Amino acid sequence: MYDVEKLENEWKKYRRKRLKPWYIGILVLIFLLVPLIFFLVNQKIDFSALKSYFQTSNENGSYEVVSHLEKKNKSSILVNEALDRLEIKERILKDSMITVVDKPVKKPLNILVDIPVLDGAGEISVGDMNQDKPKVHLDIVESTSVTAYKDVEKRFMQSREIDDALFLARSYFKKGNYKKAEYWALETNKLDEDSEESLFIFVKSKVKLGHTNEAIAILMDYIKISNSDEGRKLLYQIENNEL
Amino acid sequence: MKSRYEIAKDVFIDSVDIDDYIDLNSSVTAYQQLRHSMDKPLKMILLFGKPGTGKSILLNRIQEKLKHQKEIHYFDTPAINEKEFFHKLFKVLTKKDLPSNTEVNFSALNDFCKNLRGKREIIILLDEAQMYGPEMMEKIRLLSDSRAVKFVVSLHKTEDEDLVAKEHFQSRIWEVIELKNATIEDQTAYVHKKLLKKNLFEIANSIKEKNMKRIHKYTKGNYRECNKLLFTIFEICEYYDKNDPSKVSYTKIPNKIIEMAALKLGYIHV
Repeated sequence: MYDVEKLENEWKKYRRKRLKPWYIGILVLIFLLVPLIFFLVNQKIDFSALKSYFQTSNENGSYEVVSHLEKKNKSSILVNEALDRLEIKERILKDSMITVVDKPVKKPLNILVDIPVLDGAGEISVGDMNQDKPKVHLDIVESTSVTAYKDVEKRFMQSREIDDALFLARSYFKKGNYKKAEYWALETNKLDEDSEESLFIFVKSKVKLGHTNEAIAILMDYIKISNSDEGRKLLYQIENNEL
Repeated sequence: MKSRYEIAKDVFIDSVDIDDYIDLNSSVTAYQQLRHSMDKPLKMILLFGKPGTGKSILLNRIQEKLKHQKEIHYFDTPAINEKEFFHKLFKVLTKKDLPSNTEVNFSALNDFCKNLRGKREIIILLDEAQMYGPEMMEKIRLLSDSRAVKFVVSLHKTEDEDLVAKEHFQSRIWEVIELKNATIEDQTAYVHKKLLKKNLFEIANSIKEKNMKRIHKYTKGNYRECNKLLFTIFEICEYYDKNDPSKVSYTKIPNKIIEMAALKLGYIHV
């Protein structure tokens, strides 16, 4: 009988040797699979992250990727729309649409930007901005901005525009600054004696300043000359303390 | 009392014992082929095959079967020299011992054989014939030409022996029977039948198909190698059975033990 234990040890060595290629193969497979799985898993994370990122940016309304895309789509839609319009020969309308959407709204003169609109009644259109100055001022009826009023006053000193004076009279009266309203109404009236509105602002300002009798006298004189129904109505209101 | 593994081990002791002959598909075919060839008026028959393919057992088997019907003689091991061979042949042909201090005269022997033609038909089974020298083979050929003596020559299949066969027998041999290594089915049947012959049913059942695949792989279907391997396997099993029974089971032969035996016999290497 030979040494079986020694033979068994030899067999263990043989087994290790025989299984070695398998171990190497498995290791190689693991080395290949692990990066592959890692890559695939990472890809998944990236997608979800990107997805959530998209969602977040959408909810917040921020100008991230989605916003850009939306913008792009929007502009392309608008361009398409414009092209459609071009087909029906509405070239002017198309041009204005593209200008409004694609480009930032052109800043008007500094004075217009700084004046906030009080009652929001007068939306500024691009077309309006390109019109003559007096018209623009008439549209911007009231303002609370002190600097804006000063700017208009400055300009009035240079241009002596009736509209500027009347704008200031009207605005100050509305604001409750009756002294200034009285002054600018007078200035307006100096430039245009027929300006009924400037007279009325002047009279009303007098009433508000407590000079009611003086105001009534001036108004009655005006009614006599002009026979104005509006004047009579105002007189009635003053007499009945309805102002 | 012998353990079951010890008995199983003894089953596979490599020996040419006619009692151990196992009828397999391939061996039955070879036997019938040889038997049929011997009935033909052939001078020489070449039984050809690798060592361990069952040539010797086949010659033994046929001698055992035909000994009462024909004058058939089996020369198992080659004679040391020519003198001894012809001495042996003289005894077979004349049925007499060679007188002391005498030598066989080949010419006289050849003449004697020629005289036997038509009277007797003697079959000489020459095992391990590759060990006979060319000169002696030439004399054997001359004797076969007498047509009174028919030689069945068993040769190992090697390149050199092929050459011997070509040079000395090609023109004279009328039939060549080649024995090949066993198929896995034949080898499985061989192992199981051998064990069952000794009533080792449990051990025979413990050798599964996958075990036989491994055994066939190591032995390449060679019966002698198969005997050696199984002998070693059961020897290891016997050791474990006595010293560490947990490592061996009566229901199956572990591959580990087969591999250990293969290592021991050099079929595989560390």
